[in-house]
Amino acid sequence: MGMLSRESTSDLMETQVMRLLSGVSTHGDQHLAEVERDLVQMDVLLNEAIKKLCTSFMAIHHAIDLQQETLKSMLSTGKPAPEQAARLEMLREEIGQHVGAAVTGLQFQDMTSQLIGRMVQHLAGLRDVFGELGTNGTAGLPESGSEEMLVMLNRISDRVGARCSELAGAVRSTVNQRHMESGDIELF
Amino acid sequence: MKTILAVDDSGSLRQMLSFSLKAAGYGVIEAIDGEDGLNKAKQQTVDLVLTDQNMPGMDGLSLIKALRAMKNYQSVPILMLTTESGDDIKAMGRAAGANGWLVKPFDPARLTEVVKKLIG
Repeated sequence: MGMLSRESTSDLMETQVMRLLSGVSTHGDQHLAEVERDLVQMDVLLNEAIKKLCTSFMAIHHAIDLQQETLKSMLSTGKPAPEQAARLEMLREEIGQHVGAAVTGLQFQDMTSQLIGRMVQHLAGLRDVFGELGTNGTAGLPESGSEEMLVMLNRISDRVGARCSELAGAVRSTVNQRHMESGDIELF
Repeated sequence: MKTILAVDDSGSLRQMLSFSLKAAGYGVIEAIDGEDGLNKAKQQTVDLVLTDQNMPGMDGLSLIKALRAMKNYQSVPILMLTTESGDDIKAMGRAAGANGWLVKPFDPARLTEVVKKLIG
């Protein structure tokens, strides 16, 4: 950088500081928005999964109670009546359906762990951005002249931008589910 | 007994798959990622492969390509079971040789219906 007047150096300095602050603010905001989005999605999935599991658990418990009553009644008479056998078969099917719903609900961990993984990457990205500021910022403030300061600010802005671009490409959302209902099936 | 290879890095998902498929009368071999799945598929030719897409190391698409390159897996049904549902990735799965795409979470009755349709 050549010789600059005090005024133009001051203007450039202001521009660079504004650019840096704006970069940190924009990238920080982007990462936090992604984390917020994933947290909301995870909250919905967990709430639905827990509701589904509680409902299935209570329904299985109720059906097993009825099954036990029917079995007791059969044992007391010594011989199963056709309606008792039919009732047992109906209860068996009912229990199977509730167990199926519970199996669907129990898959929440697979999805929420992917969302948590993505949030961790975004938080690590934020830490990197702040790390760049810490490492290259106050600790390395040049003692002489404003031109060196300008060069340093420019370098920090570029590195903050580069870190954020790297992260944006690496953290793709792989979980599109908004509910804990079973997904589509397509045979090719 | 028909045997199914279930490949997923999530332990709870493998447990649910194994539970559902065994209840329907199938034998299940579990694998924790694509590489493990490929090794197990080499040890024993299975009747159907169910694989996740996003796994550490070898992903589902790479596993399908590797399996389709093996002589004994050219006609074995392979299903993708994943959280992903985008048209682009589905097209990639189809091009790699998948026979179907199932979006998580799965319903055991619907899953076994599809498996039964493919391998009986």
